[in-house]
Amino acid sequence: MIYLDCAATALQKPPEVARAMTAALGQCASPGRGSYPASARAAEVVFRCREALAQLLGADSPEQVVFTSNATHALNIAIRSLVQPGDTVVVSGYEHNAVTRVLASIPEVAVRVAVGGLFDQAGDLEAFSRLICRDTKAVVCTHVSNVFGYILPIDGIAALCRERGVPLIVDASQSAGILPVSAKRWGAAYVGLPGHKGLCGPQGTGVLVCGGGQTPVPLLAGGTGSESLNQKMPDFLPDRLEAGTHNMPGIAGLLAGVQFIRRKGTDAILCHERRLSDRMAGALSLIPGVRVIRPQEADRRTGVLSFLAQGQDCEVLGASLAARGISLRTGLHCAPLAHRTAGTLETGTLRASVSPFNTPGEVDDLAVALAGCLEK
Amino acid sequence: MVYYLIVCRSLTYAQRTAAALERAGIAARILRSPKIIASTGCSHSVKISQRSLAQALVVLKRLELSPQQIFITEADGSYREVQL
Repeated sequence: MIYLDCAATALQKPPEVARAMTAALGQCASPGRGSYPASARAAEVVFRCREALAQLLGADSPEQVVFTSNATHALNIAIRSLVQPGDTVVVSGYEHNAVTRVLASIPEVAVRVAVGGLFDQAGDLEAFSRLICRDTKAVVCTHVSNVFGYILPIDGIAALCRERGVPLIVDASQSAGILPVSAKRWGAAYVGLPGHKGLCGPQGTGVLVCGGGQTPVPLLAGGTGSESLNQKMPDFLPDRLEAGTHNMPGIAGLLAGVQFIRRKGTDAILCHERRLSDRMAGALSLIPGVRVIRPQEADRRTGVLSFLAQGQDCEVLGASLAARGISLRTGLHCAPLAHRTAGTLETGTLRASVSPFNTPGEVDDLAVALAGCLEK
Repeated sequence: MVYYLIVCRSLTYAQRTAAALERAGIAARILRSPKIIASTGCSHSVKISQRSLAQALVVLKRLELSPQQIFITEADGSYREVQL
């Protein structure tokens, strides 16, 4: 099986992730809830993971790193903390449903979509500049499109937000572990991300980095092991947002994943993924009737690309590829807004995405398999 | 043995406090605050030796880590809050 759906989840992980999870299952109880060794071990693992994430994601302190169950959970907290019914919000034209559905669930929110030309960073920045105004309550922007691998001009968007005093929420689902992510440098109010994609951790892990001065609204209330007499959630982080028992195997696995990423370096990972993606795009483009959809400029893309084959239903073609041992994503990828922006809402696309564990031979095999499917 | 307990608002804060003290060469251990001093129900404290308090306070002030409260153990095992 050749796995090319890393933008959904990193199926292949460093072996130390599973080892850390197994060890945590046997050795880590609930962090800080007791004075016995298994509780202390759990607390140590959780703190080391917070510290490692704070360094990787540009948080001022480990307390600003909140564990969630996935990026969607993190983005829900962020958006619901800043956006009230009737507010106006500016988003990019590449947002995932993890953003747009949350906004749609808050009554009477006006969502303004900032789009320049397709994969046009200057145009996008101009559109954000035009739309962010005095009544904007928040800007929500993905760092990288999960459909096309397009890198949005997040530094410029963050600068606009700082200049105009508008809080910024960054969805770093496709960039954490691959591109530099820094809540501090951006001055972001919140950065939400999964633990199980670029960070190589297990499913069921996510992270919300809270910028300085934020008082987020908890989605859950419950025990935190602190201020137990107080029947309101604590007003300090991370306890305010971490009600209930922690996902100890998940956090232990995430720590191992983050350590792997820091050892390899995000620059090296990006370089590897871009090289594979370029090779894949080159090979796919040689197949008659196949159209690759991704930014032309190398510095605007990651290891994710979409493609279509003329006259072929993307779901049917995806199933044919699956039968040949190729695993990739088909359809709208939970991002109809991105497809609307790219003009692929009616057709959907096939999406291939790579990780540090993919090889040039695997992307060549995709092209061979696709050609075989189309010949039939 | 007489020792001090630096009461922290959360486990993570206690971990930051202990890590900062250890980095400065001060032995520090995290424990759950004794019930009698945990005025809010549950909290965590950092335990340091009697001789380390002055240096610990300097380190914590430099790093802007503010203890919630500080207690000293009395000879009879009770705790007395230290006013700074």
